[in-house]
Amino acid sequence: MSVKNISITPGWEKYMTKEYLDLVERGPYGKQKKVSEMGSFKEVLEEHPMCAGCAMTLFIRLTMVGLPNPEHTILIGTAGCGRLALTQTSIPFIYGNYGDTNAVASGLKRGLEVRFKDQAKDVVVMAGDGGLADIGFSAVMHSWFRKERFTTIMLDNEVYGNTGGQESGMTERGALLKMAPKGKMFEKMDMIGLAQTAGVAYIARLTPTNPTRVASVVRKAVLIAREVGPTFIQAYTSCNIEYAIPTPKVLDDARDIEAKRYGFMEIISDEAKAYLDSIDTAKKAKK
Amino acid sequence: MYLVAHIDQAICSETACRLCTQYCPEANTILYDNAAKTAFVAVDRCKGCEICVGICDDLAKHHAIKMIMITDLESPFELSKEGFRPEKWDGNHP
Repeated sequence: MSVKNISITPGWEKYMTKEYLDLVERGPYGKQKKVSEMGSFKEVLEEHPMCAGCAMTLFIRLTMVGLPNPEHTILIGTAGCGRLALTQTSIPFIYGNYGDTNAVASGLKRGLEVRFKDQAKDVVVMAGDGGLADIGFSAVMHSWFRKERFTTIMLDNEVYGNTGGQESGMTERGALLKMAPKGKMFEKMDMIGLAQTAGVAYIARLTPTNPTRVASVVRKAVLIAREVGPTFIQAYTSCNIEYAIPTPKVLDDARDIEAKRYGFMEIISDEAKAYLDSIDTAKKAKK
Repeated sequence: MYLVAHIDQAICSETACRLCTQYCPEANTILYDNAAKTAFVAVDRCKGCEICVGICDDLAKHHAIKMIMITDLESPFELSKEGFRPEKWDGNHP
């Protein structure tokens, strides 16, 4: 959970794997890497068992680039597809039980604030629509009402992809799925509206069609969560298996859904905006 | 046998758009050689999803990426063997 933990004890380099050495020497630590530098630095995400062409993987990969301090971050996830990649990052990952991700994150963040007074530690919850909007719903809402300072990222694939295609609260009305053969009969949950009601400091809804935008939204959300209050990102990450999207068409589908109904949306509170502006001003003054 | 992405470096080195490196869902799979200004593929990590082909054809309009049989590559670049060593990349990618 800091660069010290990652670096290798002198003399032990020859026993470490190539991947680990590369990460220590050419990883994204110390300086915020840009999306345009991808392919030229060793990423914190390693090989993972997620399906070929999965939009969720793309989103997770871009999220890892957007994290302002990967060495001072802890990820929390739960059962679902996302954790298959999240566990393959060089960032500590806590496997919350279904339903308690945001409760675990609340306690963890408070503990870290007591333990590390002079170093900001970021806590990021990344789970699917089932883990956050259905099963983890009450913990999510309560962490927002309590103004817990961490980021919640919903990987919204609009289905339970890992268990055979059941409808979730975030599935669109009328969507036909293997385990919802009559089509979903209810509307998609309005998590953005709920987040607004709960007073979340920064809310964003996006699709992974623009890598730079994904990284910048994640960066903003994590920074605001450090100082101001809870932040929430809802990302459309299609399940190409359950929605039968051929892999070469995954990004066409994302663009299509973005244009039709998902769009890009950002809601930022005045306090959060002032905080971001103060960071930018401090950065410019340094230059 | 299976298909993997293959980048035509003559076309790629003229553009430096780097879009495929950003849209690939796999980490460190499409790598970028800054010296030769070209992207190239670590075939041991490529899952053959063809997203990069769509990006190169439709978004960048460079048509530099094709799917080819892995057996047709004479000396494929494998990240697990070579490691991530940008200083060793000399522009001679398969």
